[in-house]
Amino acid sequence: MSVEPPISVSGLSVAYRLPEHHHSSVKELAIGAVRRQLHWRMLWALRDISFELAPGECLGIIGANGAGKSTLMRVLSRVLPPTHGRVVVRGRVAPMIELGAGFTPQLTGYENLVLYGALLGRDPRDMRRRAQAIAEWAGVSEFLEAPVRTYSQGMQARLAFSVATDTRPDILVIDEVLAVGDASFKRKCVERLAEITSQGTSSVLVSHQTTLLRNACQRLLWLDRGRIVACGETKPVLADYERSMETAAQAGRQIPAGTGSQSAAAG
Amino acid sequence: MAVPVYDSAQRGRRALAIGPNLWQQRRLVGLLLRRDLVSRYKRSLLGMWWTLLNPLLEMAVFFLVFSHIFRRATPGVPYVVYLLSGLVLINLFRQTVLGVATSMVNNGPILSRMYVPLELFAVSAAGVLLVNFLASLIPLLAFMLITGTALPATLPLVIIPGALIAFLGVGIGLALAPAAVLYPDVTDLLSVALLLAGYLVPVFYPISIVPVKYRLFEQLNPLYSFLESFRGLLYGGSFHPASAYAVMLGTAAAAMTVGSFVFSRFGRRMVVLL
Repeated sequence: MSVEPPISVSGLSVAYRLPEHHHSSVKELAIGAVRRQLHWRMLWALRDISFELAPGECLGIIGANGAGKSTLMRVLSRVLPPTHGRVVVRGRVAPMIELGAGFTPQLTGYENLVLYGALLGRDPRDMRRRAQAIAEWAGVSEFLEAPVRTYSQGMQARLAFSVATDTRPDILVIDEVLAVGDASFKRKCVERLAEITSQGTSSVLVSHQTTLLRNACQRLLWLDRGRIVACGETKPVLADYERSMETAAQAGRQIPAGTGSQSAAAG
Repeated sequence: MAVPVYDSAQRGRRALAIGPNLWQQRRLVGLLLRRDLVSRYKRSLLGMWWTLLNPLLEMAVFFLVFSHIFRRATPGVPYVVYLLSGLVLINLFRQTVLGVATSMVNNGPILSRMYVPLELFAVSAAGVLLVNFLASLIPLLAFMLITGTALPATLPLVIIPGALIAFLGVGIGLALAPAAVLYPDVTDLLSVALLLAGYLVPVFYPISIVPVKYRLFEQLNPLYSFLESFRGLLYGGSFHPASAYAVMLGTAAAAMTVGSFVFSRFGRRMVVLL
């Protein structure tokens, strides 16, 4: 294993460049272009983010809704390009973002399993060989020939999780996927993640479950409105985060901007 | 196996990487093609038969309306063969442009959640329509046999204008795919434009009914060359007109060049909007 960090992010900013609402159609765009009134609204989802992931480390990402967590996950899994800054990812990434969302409802579980694996970069022939084992872990082996539209949300999530973790990836990018499914499935997932991590896989994990974060992550990265509030050891960052959330809840408003710099200094 | 490295700072060579990329990913493209075919027909009553039936139904409508007027206006070939051959080819073009242009929108859930080269979905969409085209040659041949039209030796070569018009369609579709993500009505406008494009060339009417002063205008449309050469090979038994081949190659190559450039430059940026 190389000593190079599996993920290094420097000065990352991501903007959603949205067309102004007053020309959301081509006709209006054409009129706007003629009048030279093309307006783009730059919505900054992430601003100047820098961090490194150490080999074998699990980094948790926390923050309120709209903090930019999912955007960060999508940049790390190559789906979104950075607007500014640089992202280097070394190794095979297994992205787990809304598990099962890539399934085709009309296809059978088996066909989806093979396709999903292939989309994640696996050889379809390997997927066919592994299909039975993957389905068994997900608990859907009796339904492999049924179309996925007949599957429950939980079954789809289990199948997708099973495909994504069938071979050990170098890096796991997990966006809240452990929030779906019942308790026993969650336990199974956490066990499998622990097993994979113990073999050297690094991971980035978005979650709102503090117990999971406390148990799985060595460090936490706290985002607020696209900026890093704090990055450091799990315990102190989580304590600061929870305190600020409580304050915000009591005040019944957004987290004050001032909290950020204070806890960054503390962390 | 080498560790794959993704460095966001390395960009710019993607347009050139499309070819080798496709070969590397041929198995995935095969699966996508299968998915597109299956999901298109699996839950329908007639399944794959739709492919054969669609052009026939469209032909029936035109035939009912125009057969009396144009019966004698297509010398050397029954009107029904003239009509169906035009429809089959122009539909390949229309559907390929539309299928490729909407390939990003249609695969939004996948593209916004995992990294897959965007062009694979465009290729798969185009592949489905090429399969459709080949299938629709069956009823076309059947009508030629029924009407006693001679099948010339050049007939199998119809695949040349077929493939070239598919490339033209893919190129135009690629150029429009990012815009179709940005503005939903691009797809609607495109449908109308493609319908009109089909009426501007002699698909269901013979060129002889067009007033002489407008004929040059029709013939300057590249689609005219595709239709002429397709019909020439299909029932004319000739490579006439030779100039059509230059036009076909030129427009297909130009469309592919512009399309790949636009797609590789703007495609990935549009993923945020999916």
